[in-house]
Amino acid sequence: MHDSRFIRYYGNRILQAFFCFAVFLVFLAPLLRLLLMSVTEDAGYGFSHYARLLGEERTRLAVRNTLIVGASSTAFSMLFGATFAFLVAYANLKRRRLAELLILLPFIIPSYIITLSWTGIFSENGAVNGWLSSAGLAPVNLYSLGGIIFVHGMCTIPIVYMIVKAMLRRIPVDLEEASMAAGYSRRQTMLRINLALAAPAVASGGILSFLATIDNFSIPAFLGISSGIPVLSTYIYEKAIGFGPSSFSDAAVLSVLLSLLAVGGTLLEGFFVRRSPGLESTGEDASIRIELPRRTRAWVEWTMLGGLMTFNIVPLLFMFLSAMQKRYGLGYAADNLTVANFRDLLANAGVLRAVRTSILLAGAACAVCIVVGTAAAYLKIRKNNKAAKILEKSAALAYAIPGIVLALAMIFHWVEPLPGVRPGIYGTMTILAVAYVTRYLVLQIKGSVNAMLTVEPALEEAAVAGGSGKIAVWVKILLPLLAKPVLASAFLVFIPAMTELTLSSILSAAGTKTIGLTVFSFQQAGDYSLAAAMSAVVVLLVLGAYGTALLCKKFFERQKEKKNDRTEAGAHIPLVRPDAGAR
Amino acid sequence: MTGLKLEHISHWFGLTQALDDVGVHIEESEFVAILGPSGCGKTTLLRVIGGFLRPSKGVVGFGDRIWSSPLVHVPVERRDLGMVFQSFALWPHMSVRAHVEFPLKSARHRNLGPKERKERIDRTLEATGLESLQHRLPGELSGGQRQRVSLARAIVSKPSVLLMDEPLSALDQELRVEMRREIQDIHRLTGATVVYVTHDQGEALAMADRLIIMKDGRIEQAGTPRAVYLRPETPFAASFVSKCNFVKGTWQGKNFVVPGNPPLIFDGAGIAEVFRGMNIYPVRPEQFRISKGDYGLEGRIANKLYSGREIHYSVRCQGEMFTVYTDSFQDYRPGESVRLLFEGPDEDRERNGLDKDGSMVYNRTA
Repeated sequence: MHDSRFIRYYGNRILQAFFCFAVFLVFLAPLLRLLLMSVTEDAGYGFSHYARLLGEERTRLAVRNTLIVGASSTAFSMLFGATFAFLVAYANLKRRRLAELLILLPFIIPSYIITLSWTGIFSENGAVNGWLSSAGLAPVNLYSLGGIIFVHGMCTIPIVYMIVKAMLRRIPVDLEEASMAAGYSRRQTMLRINLALAAPAVASGGILSFLATIDNFSIPAFLGISSGIPVLSTYIYEKAIGFGPSSFSDAAVLSVLLSLLAVGGTLLEGFFVRRSPGLESTGEDASIRIELPRRTRAWVEWTMLGGLMTFNIVPLLFMFLSAMQKRYGLGYAADNLTVANFRDLLANAGVLRAVRTSILLAGAACAVCIVVGTAAAYLKIRKNNKAAKILEKSAALAYAIPGIVLALAMIFHWVEPLPGVRPGIYGTMTILAVAYVTRYLVLQIKGSVNAMLTVEPALEEAAVAGGSGKIAVWVKILLPLLAKPVLASAFLVFIPAMTELTLSSILSAAGTKTIGLTVFSFQQAGDYSLAAAMSAVVVLLVLGAYGTALLCKKFFERQKEKKNDRTEAGAHIPLVRPDAGAR
Repeated sequence: MTGLKLEHISHWFGLTQALDDVGVHIEESEFVAILGPSGCGKTTLLRVIGGFLRPSKGVVGFGDRIWSSPLVHVPVERRDLGMVFQSFALWPHMSVRAHVEFPLKSARHRNLGPKERKERIDRTLEATGLESLQHRLPGELSGGQRQRVSLARAIVSKPSVLLMDEPLSALDQELRVEMRREIQDIHRLTGATVVYVTHDQGEALAMADRLIIMKDGRIEQAGTPRAVYLRPETPFAASFVSKCNFVKGTWQGKNFVVPGNPPLIFDGAGIAEVFRGMNIYPVRPEQFRISKGDYGLEGRIANKLYSGREIHYSVRCQGEMFTVYTDSFQDYRPGESVRLLFEGPDEDRERNGLDKDGSMVYNRTA
């Protein structure tokens, strides 16, 4: 009796220690390896790489550009994101769902496709620039700092929008009425109460959009590499694929710099989240709080919808049309259009393989994330397990680190993760799968934790009290209740993993291309029509996936209404989350 | 003309009518409680007075000003009022002192000097016992303290009208009783006209100068707590406020007769006309006495709830379940056959006393 308890206790501890070691090996060791790499010199350790790189004009330019792009695009997205959030959350606009869909569109579609669509609009000899120069105006050159800032801004508006809108809706109407009863008009109340309360959310949305911007690789890669405008993420890429004697340590140094920015931003964001006032109600109140007069309402509504259509739909439509041109730049008359590009695409074995690779990789990563993430969530919530919490923190760190840095760290680490152990996965698809799990696991953990929180422990206890065993509790109680929210957050892992470019740009080997990489190489090779056609296919894939997910959600909700099941009413499953985007 | 005057107020939310031709005149410095079950329109009425809602029909007047009418709608911030919310509605980013200061910095008090403002804030904090908590944020306060902040914020600008929307329902039982006293003190201190919405008849009876009983968007009865409690005018008021049992029988002239051997005769003095038409007689739980004798309504004890000071019995009688309160020494077992006696004489004295000042008591506008 005494012995078995002894064995169980130490067995448990050994298991925990082993688990912690595995977490360290997968999530933290790569980052440490990167840090080490940046201070490794020919003989011993030191900061000579830092000194040399920071002395170079191009490094300073990259750092400066990163900060300028980050700050300017954040200002842009904060302005528009917060304004849209305010209007959609409070004003008596009609077609709010449509507006929201349009606002969120750049978040759903990978940023390299957004970039591609905009370069199509503003191509050198394209319609818009032709029209501008005939009007005597300077043509718009998207391959510039301004262009990079603009596209970043467009892509990060949804982040600010989602966070601020949620916060605005959470402010109880009572708080406004109390202010009006105290002698303030609605306008003053909005300023002094609602905006004051939402300010930390605006700040935190701004920081998240800054982080997404400095993390992003595809926008500056599409717009900045060819025009010689470096930011840290593309500069790291250039160093990493370069062949100079110190190129890897240079890349490591730059990665450390970028990571410092990112981790600093993440900590600052955490500070704002903690500082934001604790509202008692967590429910969102979608009631209309600002009644605009009829004409103003129509004016605001159509300006907003028109602007959103112009900026978020027109470039995509344009891209679809370009994909159907017989020859790039030919014009858009009916007899210039053809489906030949799509036929070429489907006949291209490399393209088909890339689609298969991406879906397979994303699916595999997703499956691992579901199992590990849900197990971790269970251990964290129900057992208050330390190791699970360590896993969550480590996974969060791997997500806070910019993707390009993580990719680099993966190379350094997985060549020889433990002394003498060479798994030989570098250069295969496996390292991409490992990278995807490392990067996206935290999203699944968070999703599963939220799912787990909606299931009261009493439900399990009731089953146990009724004589069910552990397995029966999982099969009969937990899985049915968790399935939907867990799958919804797995969806949020699947889509970005399927369409990502950053990790595969560094990690994929010569033979294995992903979807993102295929578009990237078409674009880099100057084959705009094929890039556009491929992007069109990706957009359709992504929209199709979201459409299906939405239909499933609607279907389940209707089922639920039919059953009039009120116990689940609180478990709202979001399909877009501000911290989970195709960065 | 002073006080608050509501005339023919009706309000629709879409097709549902929340208020149906409500009219009432509330005197200056009067404490009026609007009492009714949920969905009776009491909160809607309060929001109409506050100006958060513009009534579909009718006029709200204050003093010689019109606050709401088909032509005029004075916005909330320009009505001279303070409001206390059920949820307290404290601003999580402001300290206690900032809450109390907030109304004094509004356009309504533009002319207030900084010195006077500070004095008023200090005095209000003192009156509500919040001095030592003035630098705390709402998140650091208990429920009772939060309600005091909400009160302090509502009274600091010395409004003529103080609106209270179920201010105590978010507090626990003991605190609720304590806060009743504090709210009464504040009413005496400020002399404001108080309109207090509640579904708790104990609260309404204890604090108000006058009760307004509402049901389905209409006023059922208005009068002093005593008048409403002792002389309900509708079956609803009788059952909602004084928890009356309705004894079935026939009215014969001034008397109410329950047939039997011997027949029971109840004195009909002071019973409202509506009960005569329905051939029922309202009896409050404490008006019954349980007896083992041969006289009285036949019944059987169905349930017994001992509560220390008294015992609440459920007695099956006339095919209904009657509630009877007795002192804690009257011990009967569930299942026991008993007789219910009606204790009349004391009541009659009460009623006669009331009749004399009935005109003051009844202030009902149709």
